[in-house]
Amino acid sequence: MPPILPDFSNSVKLKYVKLGYQYLVNHILTLTLIPIMAAIFIEVLGMGPDEISNLWKSLHFDLVQILCSAFLIIFIATVYFMSKPRTIFLVDYACFKPPITCRVPFATFMEHSRLNLKNNPKSVEFQMRILERSGLGEETCLPPAIHYIPPNPTMEAARGEAELVIFSAMDSLFEKTGLNPKDIDILIVNCSLFSPTPSLSAMVINKYKLRSNIKSFNLSGMGCSAGLISIDLARDLLQVHPNSNAVIVSTEIITPNYYQGNERAMLLPNCLFRMGGAAILLSNRRSERRRAKYRLVHVVRTHKGADDKAYRCVYEEEDKEGKVGISLSKDLMAIAGEALKSNITTIGPLVLPASEQLLFLLTLIGRKIFNPKWKPYIPDFKQAFEHFCIHAGGRAVIDELQKNLQLSSEHVEASRMALHRFGNTSSSSLWYELSYIEAKGRMKRGDRVWQIAFGSGFKCNSAVWKCNQSIKAPTDGPWADCIDRYPVHIPEIVKL
Amino acid sequence: MAEITYICKRTVVSTKPTQPRKYHSFSILDHLMEKNHIRIVYYSKSWGEKEAGEITVSLRESISEMLTHFPKVTGRLIRNEKGNWMIKCNDAGVRMVEARAKGSVEDWLKSVDREKELKLVYWEDMIHKPYFWSTFYVQITEFEKGGVAIGLSCFHLLADPICATMFLKAWADKTLGQKMVSPPFFHTLPTRRPINKTSNHKPYTDLINHYKFSIENTTPFLDANHTHTTITLSFSDHMVQACMDMVQPTSTPNKPNPSSPFEALAGLLWICISKVKGLRNGLVNMSLCLDQRKVLGLDKGFFGNCMVYNKVHSNGLEEHNLSQATKVIGEALEKMDNEGIMDLIEWLEHNDSQSHPLMNNCDLICASLETVEPYSVDFVGGFEPIQVSYYVEPVIGIGQVLIFRAPSYDGPLGRVVMVTLPKDEIVKLCEDELIFHLSPRILMGVARNYA
Repeated sequence: MPPILPDFSNSVKLKYVKLGYQYLVNHILTLTLIPIMAAIFIEVLGMGPDEISNLWKSLHFDLVQILCSAFLIIFIATVYFMSKPRTIFLVDYACFKPPITCRVPFATFMEHSRLNLKNNPKSVEFQMRILERSGLGEETCLPPAIHYIPPNPTMEAARGEAELVIFSAMDSLFEKTGLNPKDIDILIVNCSLFSPTPSLSAMVINKYKLRSNIKSFNLSGMGCSAGLISIDLARDLLQVHPNSNAVIVSTEIITPNYYQGNERAMLLPNCLFRMGGAAILLSNRRSERRRAKYRLVHVVRTHKGADDKAYRCVYEEEDKEGKVGISLSKDLMAIAGEALKSNITTIGPLVLPASEQLLFLLTLIGRKIFNPKWKPYIPDFKQAFEHFCIHAGGRAVIDELQKNLQLSSEHVEASRMALHRFGNTSSSSLWYELSYIEAKGRMKRGDRVWQIAFGSGFKCNSAVWKCNQSIKAPTDGPWADCIDRYPVHIPEIVKL
Repeated sequence: MAEITYICKRTVVSTKPTQPRKYHSFSILDHLMEKNHIRIVYYSKSWGEKEAGEITVSLRESISEMLTHFPKVTGRLIRNEKGNWMIKCNDAGVRMVEARAKGSVEDWLKSVDREKELKLVYWEDMIHKPYFWSTFYVQITEFEKGGVAIGLSCFHLLADPICATMFLKAWADKTLGQKMVSPPFFHTLPTRRPINKTSNHKPYTDLINHYKFSIENTTPFLDANHTHTTITLSFSDHMVQACMDMVQPTSTPNKPNPSSPFEALAGLLWICISKVKGLRNGLVNMSLCLDQRKVLGLDKGFFGNCMVYNKVHSNGLEEHNLSQATKVIGEALEKMDNEGIMDLIEWLEHNDSQSHPLMNNCDLICASLETVEPYSVDFVGGFEPIQVSYYVEPVIGIGQVLIFRAPSYDGPLGRVVMVTLPKDEIVKLCEDELIFHLSPRILMGVARNYA
């Protein structure tokens, strides 16, 4: 058996080599330009002032040439500035803080499950096992209608929950930003499973008496990644409408979708989904530049719906007894991995530094030409981003992404803690996670954030934000009263 | 007539999660009360919010906050290694039932009887899986034309009427946004210090004998389908004074009236009930039940069972003489002192058998809830409850008498007496001349229509 070389010295050397390589490739332009400029400067210094003026006179500029060049420069500059997409700013956002009386401890959840599913102890056992390994904490909240024995999911209760969540989040947003409701030009509401008539966006317009020429949209059925789809839609609209404000409301209404049957694959969402919502203000106004928190850099959407397996992996259907629930297939994680790979293939070139892209390119060429057995190079996304917000779909999703992207536990801390404190709040979970990072005081000016969300269909969407100004730890927000208790250690299995 | 409509049943939990893996075991006095449960009904006028359901919402919020201090109440029962009950503080919560009633509280109280009143307080007997069974139940009934009835029922293993009242008081304090006057105190019963065990210490046998008798005789006196009913009589200050005067007809200036309101009223009811049961000579077997928190030096907020029974010896009492009856009651009360109670507790712990009996299955039980003031529990802010009722169920012995303090407008001596007897006997009791002579206010009478 060969002697095991001390890894330490090797890894230290390798680390410096890596650092050197990255610095070289990322700053190649600067590194080539500086010597050239230095050389010219030395040359110029070498020449005396007379020689310089002779050089100048020999260039023979006449008026027409100067004017044409000037016009050309101005023309190119104008075309450049006109075709540049408008910068989209995230002025601020507000997350819904559920009332503490809606809290559902594990014991209460299990007890209700036992009392409601009297004839199916196996299903109750299953739910208990899921809950033990779920990564949720004892402070997640369910809407009032689900606290009843038996649950009473009427449409009125669903509307009640929608009003509670959306109006609280919007009131909070208005307070934080000082926005006048009449100034909202674009309103996008996304809620996947509850879609009444009139729509939730109409409900918002009615409550806050918004303008009659508002551009309102209501996205439903698009799953947990609908939040980023709304951001994408808002961005496109803000390119067309100058000087506008867009408000996005991301939420998921739990009340009408609490599965009351016995099918195991459909009981899973009951254990994980919890009440939550967020309201976000985007703007393309120049005046917001100073106070905006973030700037939207990229949105990348990947849809794997063309594949049948991916299409059916999160499917809403009726069970044998006719009760409607969302069935999650067993290969959900594998499909999520595939979708993620597609997404990062697209986003990689946009965000990765040149060093990583070069390595990836070289490995790709190597695999194609020299040896297909070479391991594919997974680019190091930690160099492209300071913060990661992974949709808190469940512990398995976060574990999978942590493994795939080789992230440290600090990078996924925001996702894990948001899952623990708020549960899976669907499309708004990304905003709770961002709020966590801010509450911990980790968001500095220039930091880049990557939000990744998965959704039914199967979709994987990402958004990249750049922090506009260092954010002081806020005194309000959903984490205000509990941030000091976090991070907590979440055991693999919680003994119930 | 369907006066009450149930809206929903839900579980309320505390606002802060309890610490995991905490357990709470019961004392020997708790175990003796395993077969009973308590029900309390509070009637209050409406406050503030006029919309239907708003009072319920604010009560729900305040009970959630208050439950943070009562992890024992939100836990669930499991068996320990010895096979006895203990509580696992798993934060499961308390069941709450919400209801609406027609009319106003005042109208309801004019025609209420036991059967109707028990509809205002929800109770479920222990289910097959006790781990999913809530030990406390709360019902909030809002009256359409004004008023609220709050019903609390709980398993007697966890609490006696004294600490159940303190639980309600804590809830009321929280609803008004005030601090709890007596925060709950969860502790084991005090044990005797070894120094005090002198060699020539004779254990007080009376209490022990009574308990021994009760434990050994577990057959109920009456069968279960013998229907009882309950009436509530309110004795104001001067009525109680008149009763005490009847006990001691000649109260000389330098010897003040030695009997307390409880003794006087207990004596009075003992005699009346004996007459009603048809006993011409002698009195029925009666046991007294008193709160021993002060005697044992425990804090007022001690949460658990701390009420001890003692038999009153009626031997030799041939005629129905109020003074003699009261004197005998007084003697029994005196014997319930620190030493006696500690002896009893030690004996019980030594002889702990698995089968815990119904303590109130034979005698007439006369319980005193003097150490709490039920009418000081104020949910509204400045207003006393309109009426309070206590029930300790099931009553399958001769009967039960509960005596507690009356509202302040009835004076410091005022007392409310709730008597539970078989239906036919209750009717005769109301017509008894002694009681008639004192003419107490009947707060809850017999149902108009009975077979």
